[in-house]
Amino acid sequence: MMGVSDAGFSPEGSFQAGVSQSFPAPTLRFLLQFDRASRIYEPLESITVRYEVAGAEAASMRALERSILWYTEGKGEEDIGVHFFERIADASDLPQVLPQGFFSNRLPASPLSYEGVIVKVRWCVRLRVFFEAGRDFVSEHVFSLGRIPPIRQATGGGRL
Amino acid sequence: MRWPRFFSKKRGHRHTGSREWGSIAEGLFYAALLLGGLIFGGLLVSGVAAYAPADPGRVVLQRGYDWWMWVLTLVIPLALVAFGGSGLGKVIRMWGKSDERRAASAGFPEFLDTLGHPPHEAPGHPGVPACENLVNSPGNVLRYRLPIESPENWTLLGFGMFALLWNAVVVVLAAGAGANIRRGNPDWFLLALLIPFVAVGVGGVILFVRAVVLAASVGPTQVEISDHPLVPGQRYDVLLGQGGSGLFKSIELGLELEEQATFCQGTDTRTERLVVWRDAARSWSRVQAVPGGRFEAHVEITIPDQAMHSFNSPHNSVHWRLVVRGSPDRWPPFTRVFPLVVFPAGRNAGATPHAPQGGKGVE
Repeated sequence: MMGVSDAGFSPEGSFQAGVSQSFPAPTLRFLLQFDRASRIYEPLESITVRYEVAGAEAASMRALERSILWYTEGKGEEDIGVHFFERIADASDLPQVLPQGFFSNRLPASPLSYEGVIVKVRWCVRLRVFFEAGRDFVSEHVFSLGRIPPIRQATGGGRL
Repeated sequence: MRWPRFFSKKRGHRHTGSREWGSIAEGLFYAALLLGGLIFGGLLVSGVAAYAPADPGRVVLQRGYDWWMWVLTLVIPLALVAFGGSGLGKVIRMWGKSDERRAASAGFPEFLDTLGHPPHEAPGHPGVPACENLVNSPGNVLRYRLPIESPENWTLLGFGMFALLWNAVVVVLAAGAGANIRRGNPDWFLLALLIPFVAVGVGGVILFVRAVVLAASVGPTQVEISDHPLVPGQRYDVLLGQGGSGLFKSIELGLELEEQATFCQGTDTRTERLVVWRDAARSWSRVQAVPGGRFEAHVEITIPDQAMHSFNSPHNSVHWRLVVRGSPDRWPPFTRVFPLVVFPAGRNAGATPHAPQGGKGVE
């Protein structure tokens, strides 16, 4: 985990909360901030993410998983490739990462984000909190690796 | 402890079956296989000797197996134990873990799960296929000769296998019918059945021979390229060589980007392919190869500046390829595909762009 200064973060517009799966607590939400407002990163660049889990008691959380990954969308079965994964389940470490924390990592050279017709590749940051009650809460925040335009805008040829 | 629910939320407002219950069902399936293998194997091993009911210490019947017979006998139970045990181990190991944790961890059970293995990747480029098999053949004029990936070859193989297997059945039936006739007791039903079987067999042979003649008469297609792997924004020389003595109404060389997605539909696994971008690099009409030689043309291709790189994952892929389409004067049209690997552009792309050597198509 690397340190990060406030100066690298956009002051506004990059907070986002994504929700999936069940709500163990009705008011639980993630606030997540990328170090770049556009959320577009070049290959091999560093990405830093700051987050805050609001609306739940930190004591009710038993583990946190932080990951940077790509997954496919479209007609095919979903494939997933994890670039960075960290699970913090030690009770002594949890106060350092919950309810707020940050992490940083260097992005890989590929695969680049891609918006195809039947195949799409998306990059995201996922935060998953596990509660003592047994449920987990996952929050996904998409960003772009590379600047490949959607396939309809490809130049030099024609879409069929 | 709270029981897992049967349905859980997927993306948006969609719901899917519960993963927990899916894992339980999968675990039960593998456990049944493991148990079946153990019971089956146990019965086989315990049935080697039979003892006298009145004197349990006295063997009255002993099965005499050679070592190879033991191997043959225990193949099925051992396979059940191995398959069930590895599957059950994997289910237990993955129980309660998130998708990310599953994908991030790799262990022994994945060695047995060949379908779940990621395809061979280029070093330092996750998701980009390796191109060793595309650069191990030097070209005569340009740097590399590309391997062909022709759907016609699979058609030829399919026709050949069908003709072989079908006619093997016909021979067996015909031998039986002939033996009956020799004994003076002809089986008319069998003889009547043989007529359509022979017709289909002859048809299969004709189709196979036609496919062989077509493949041989059109002549081989060769494509050479000045560098590999390719990088977006760069230009490359391509040499097209087309053999064959006849006249071609047209020959076209194109650069294509194809997406491929594999998905489950019911109990079937289906693969859909879609060409999403195509650039007809060059086409020629009414081509007549030099007698004893072949048609050759130099073409320059350009990978678009912001194009997607080649991508390969277990169920989804993005392929770049050169496609040669030809229409011989006296034969059906043909398509021959030459795969390419395009690396991502940018820092440390890992490829050395080759300076174009110029040259245009010639007829």
